[in-house]
Order: sequence, then structure tokens, then C-alpha cells
Amino acid sequence: MKLSCIIVEDIQIAADFLRKFCDKSDLVEVKGHFLNVMDALEFLDREKVDLLFLDVEMPGATGFDLLDRLTYSPKIILTTSKTEYAFNAFQYHVDDYLKKPFTYKRFQEAIEKLQQKALAAAPAPTPIPAVTPQPDTDFLFIKAEDKLIKLKKDDILFLESMRDYVKFVTPGKNYVTYSTLKNMEEKLIGPNFLKVHRSYIVNINKIDDIRGNTIYLLGNQIPIGKGHKDEVAARLNIL
Amino acid sequence: MQNFRTAFVFDESLNAGFLAELFEGDTIYAETVFEDFLRDLPVYWDRVEAAYNSKNLPVLGTCIHTCKTLFGYVGFTDLQDLCQQFENKCSVNTADELRLDFILLIQRKDRAQHIIEKEYNRLRKFNEANG
Repeated sequence: MKLSCIIVEDIQIAADFLRKFCDKSDLVEVKGHFLNVMDALEFLDREKVDLLFLDVEMPGATGFDLLDRLTYSPKIILTTSKTEYAFNAFQYHVDDYLKKPFTYKRFQEAIEKLQQKALAAAPAPTPIPAVTPQPDTDFLFIKAEDKLIKLKKDDILFLESMRDYVKFVTPGKNYVTYSTLKNMEEKLIGPNFLKVHRSYIVNINKIDDIRGNTIYLLGNQIPIGKGHKDEVAARLNIL
Repeated sequence: MQNFRTAFVFDESLNAGFLAELFEGDTIYAETVFEDFLRDLPVYWDRVEAAYNSKNLPVLGTCIHTCKTLFGYVGFTDLQDLCQQFENKCSVNTADELRLDFILLIQRKDRAQHIIEKEYNRLRKFNEANG
């Protein structure tokens, strides 16, 4: 199935190239091209797409401003001629980064990588449950700082996905370990931990308050993803 | 110099290897892109000059950033590097300090524009001759 996408790009030549590459690949269907962030947001309020090709520097607002205001999480490929944005791209969990001008070969690699990730993320067949459940423990070990560190589950405030790494945030210290949030979600299964966003799992006991779509937790602000709202409402014992 | 399609050879000041990969032998599309470049560059360059004259360096940097991208699509990868250096300087230098760099950039831009005009005409003739 083709991925629906939009192109957010203020340079016409760059947008034309991208559209040509999309047409040629036959894997992506372009739903629109927007010269600035505001027009793109207006479209995205009405229609969801699978993928954004997003320039960073545009008149009025940047591509990162658009990501800040998005209410759902499509795949993101940043298209820019400035390599300095790589760190921000990482922070925003973008899926790929194409440095302009890029060739069709590079474009195709990015799309194929997206498709492979999508396949890998597809739900696997339900495993047969173990006869004897693993005994639950109130701690876990994570590999960080060249050692195995014992963390009490109750000390964890939240976990943040950092692409191939996961950050454990505790009141005193943060630990980064090589793993995925999905993997951690399985290990932290229980009444206290809840995935509230594709990039965050929070310890429900540590939540201070919730305002709108943001959880406040010991000075940290965690967004609630649109797809997680119902589960959050169901789990939080809201009266 | 590198062969493009079977007969078209780009000016040696352009990154012919990159252009061959970018256009994949499609000289008709190359002609379109070169035409678009000649249409768009003066518009963006007017903004560059306005920003420089008003000493608005953040805007100057942004405008140069756009021109840098345009130069890349017609194979001026070395000019892209020069633009990047200038763009970086916009965030640390004053307009007066950038005067000589700006003059150099204008000279390189003018030369690039002239080369692309010639290349565009050659591409047009090449495409006409090859049906």
C-alpha cells in the first residue's frame, strides 16, 4: 500500500524534485505541497497523512515548529541542506534526514527503510502465554555506564524513547540504555506503568497533575499522544 | 568532465558526477531545472541584497541558505560550501565585517549565473537535436 504524504518546502525546485521522486517510486502518494508551515498545518488539521517530507528553514515558522504543533505522529523525513539540524532531528524522533540536494537513490533508501520499520513494528502473532508467569519484582537491572544498574521500579519517573536508546528518568539521575521503548514496555508491565505517548512511558504513581494533553511529573512535562488518550483516561481513575 | 547521457557534457565548473546521478540521464528535466534556477535565483538574490543593505544578518543568513540549496540543484557544489561558510558567519559577524566575503559571493554568484545561462542554452539545443 502506498504511503500518503505531503511536502512542506518553500523552494519550488526542491519540491518539484521530491514530487518527481515520489511519482517515480510508486510507493508514495503526494496529497499536497505547501510552501509554509501554516498552510501545511491547516491541511493536516483536516486530513491525516502517513508521511511528511519536511523542510526546516521556511518563512514564518520552521519545520520543528510544525512538529511541535502536530496532534498526531506521522512518519517524518526532514529535507534540509543544513547538517546542523541532525541533533534536533534526533530529539524530535524524525525517521530520516535527507540533505538537499539528494538523489533518487538516497530518496528510495529512505522510503524503503521506512517500510521496513513499519513491517517490523506490525503486531506479531500473539505468543502462547507461559504456563508459569514470571514472578514480578519491584526492581530491574539496566545496562548503563558500562555496568548493570539496579533500579527500583518505584524510583522511575518516566522513560523516554531516544530512537535506539531509552532514557530512564529518576528524581536524582537519568540513565540511558541501549534498548527500545517497546522492549521496556514489556518488562515494566504492571499497574504502575503506562505508555502515554509513542515516546514515553510514565510511572502513574509519580504524576502530579494533568493539564490538557500534558502530564506534569516532578517538574517534567510529558505529552499524551492522541492514540493513547483513551487508555490514559481509563487507567487514571478519573472521577 | 563526464559524459551525460551519451553526448551531453556539462561545463567543467559543475559537479558533473553529481548531476549525472541527480538527473539520471534525463536531459529534458535538467533543462527544466536549469530554467527554473534562472527564474528563481534573481528573486532570491534580491532578498539577499535587501537583507545585506539593511544589515539584517539573521534574514541574510536565511536568504543565503535558500540560494545555497538552489546552487546545489545545478551542480555548483563548491558554491554551496562557500554559501554555507557565509551563512555561518552571518550569526557571528557584523555586516561590515562581511563586506569582502559578500563581494566575493556576488562575484561567484554572477559567474555561476552566467555559466548556467550557457548550460541552459546548450541543454535546450541538445534536447531539440535529440528530439
